[in-house]
Amino acid sequence: MTENRKKRWVMVIDSRKCFDCKACDVACKRENGIEAKGNRDVYRNWITSRGIEGTFPNLKQRFEPSQCQQCANPPCVRVCPTRASHLDRDGLVQIDGRRCIVCGVCILSCPYDARFKSPQTKVIDKCTFCNHRIAVGKQPACVDTCPTKVRVFGDLNDPESEVSRLLARHHYFVLKPKSGTQPSLFYLS
Amino acid sequence: MNFLTINGKMINSRGDRIWVITTGLFCLIGLIGLTNFLIQGHDAYNVHRQVPWGLLISTYIFFGLSSTGLCLVASLSRVFGLEPFEVIGKRVIVMAIITLVAAFVVIGLELGQPLRMIYNIISPNLAAPLWWMGTLYGLYLTAIVVAFILMTKGLHRYVGYAILVGFVSGIVKHSTLGSVFGLLDARLWWQGPFIPISTIVAAAAGGCAIVILLLAHRYYREKMPRDVDQAVRTTGRIFTILLGILLFAEFWKVMTTIYGGIPGKHDAMMILLNGPMALHYWFFAVFLGLLLPFILLLATGGKRLEISVVAAISSLIGLFFMRYNMVVVGQLVPLRPDVDRAHPITGLVSYNPSATEFAIVIGGFGLCLALYFVASRVFNLDAEAARH
Repeated sequence: MTENRKKRWVMVIDSRKCFDCKACDVACKRENGIEAKGNRDVYRNWITSRGIEGTFPNLKQRFEPSQCQQCANPPCVRVCPTRASHLDRDGLVQIDGRRCIVCGVCILSCPYDARFKSPQTKVIDKCTFCNHRIAVGKQPACVDTCPTKVRVFGDLNDPESEVSRLLARHHYFVLKPKSGTQPSLFYLS
Repeated sequence: MNFLTINGKMINSRGDRIWVITTGLFCLIGLIGLTNFLIQGHDAYNVHRQVPWGLLISTYIFFGLSSTGLCLVASLSRVFGLEPFEVIGKRVIVMAIITLVAAFVVIGLELGQPLRMIYNIISPNLAAPLWWMGTLYGLYLTAIVVAFILMTKGLHRYVGYAILVGFVSGIVKHSTLGSVFGLLDARLWWQGPFIPISTIVAAAAGGCAIVILLLAHRYYREKMPRDVDQAVRTTGRIFTILLGILLFAEFWKVMTTIYGGIPGKHDAMMILLNGPMALHYWFFAVFLGLLLPFILLLATGGKRLEISVVAAISSLIGLFFMRYNMVVVGQLVPLRPDVDRAHPITGLVSYNPSATEFAIVIGGFGLCLALYFVASRVFNLDAEAARH
């Protein structure tokens, strides 16, 4: 019964715990065989510095990890002429590289700057939520590796999951809500 | 046929030799660019994660715009019954085909995997403006090629139907091209109905400019027949009106963008008005593209051919820059803060086309010149059969 229930995979991010170690970036590249070779465009996840907050002496610096938002209403899927960008059966946005003509319109349609052209595969690339790991019951590599557990991953359709409990207990926000993309990354506020 | 003749016509005039040398040089530069692209792939281009669409996309749009504009001018006689334009139809349609071929060549070298376009048919996404654009381009090309074949075969009874299909598909495909940008909600600079609509007016203006140049070149050494002269003058008048509309639209585009100060949109406009692309905008797009030709044509009423030629050249340079500005500026404002490539002070990303991109663009123009030269030798593009 549980096996057949439709999943809604989401990630809850507590950016207050992030100290910009970039282990998530390294784990992602290692897990997915991404070789940047110094190319600063090649990354599936990133950490944005939100700058210094507060007044002296009560200062703090906040970092905001991010990646493909796995939108429920993804503009990248809508604009792809060949259906290379598509939703899989769990509602995750994936790319079928064999169909990708590398027109780049999906890169431009994404409000989060989550996509890039892979110098290795020569097609468009982005975070997949490590769907190959999810399929065998594992967590995405960035979640597994984070030393301070900034990211929590799980099924929002399961009321007992940690993500469901976190979102029930805390205030949260999504990035660029006005874009209407319905992201699957929730930031605790 | 040897290298000095095409279809039995000698390449012996001074003008012909200049044309052939210029074309050869442009094509050679293009071939060098192509070779570098074949060796390095997309790495030969300076487009990057934040600016994935650059000079080649804007050039593709420019050529596509030129083709649509030419088809619109050609359809003035067959669709709207403006008789003077019947005498220039064949020459205009052949140039519409040529510019479309150049557009396809340039976009083919921009797409990372052009052979996979087969998936446009196998797994089409009808919700994608790009799919509609590609499909309508196919219909449009078919229609104008058929129209040209019918013209050369003298089957003038049917030309009107083919031109009508070309006219409708040309308008729709060009508007759909605009919608590829207009429907990108993530980029406020493009989002909205302005581009899908204004791009058709710009296409028609570009078409008028090219028609003036084609006919001025054709009758450079001989007296222009009266009916052709009348067509050129009418084209000049239509060209003036279109430039006026574009100036008006540009004014309100600027006003509506800076008035509200909407982040993203306003920032992009300021790049043009007072930022790193101000020269591209004020001198090339506004002055050369719109203001100068508008004033020149208004002053002469399109009656002085040499002035019309200057206006046409000036306007085409400006239209080229307008397409470049439209494509590139929309990407220079990053979608998130703290982007690696962003300038530390302005926060903007930058893009400068690579030598390979420039070379391919020059090659695209060379291809147009070469194909037109050959077409003008192989086919009789004059109006001998126009009176039917």
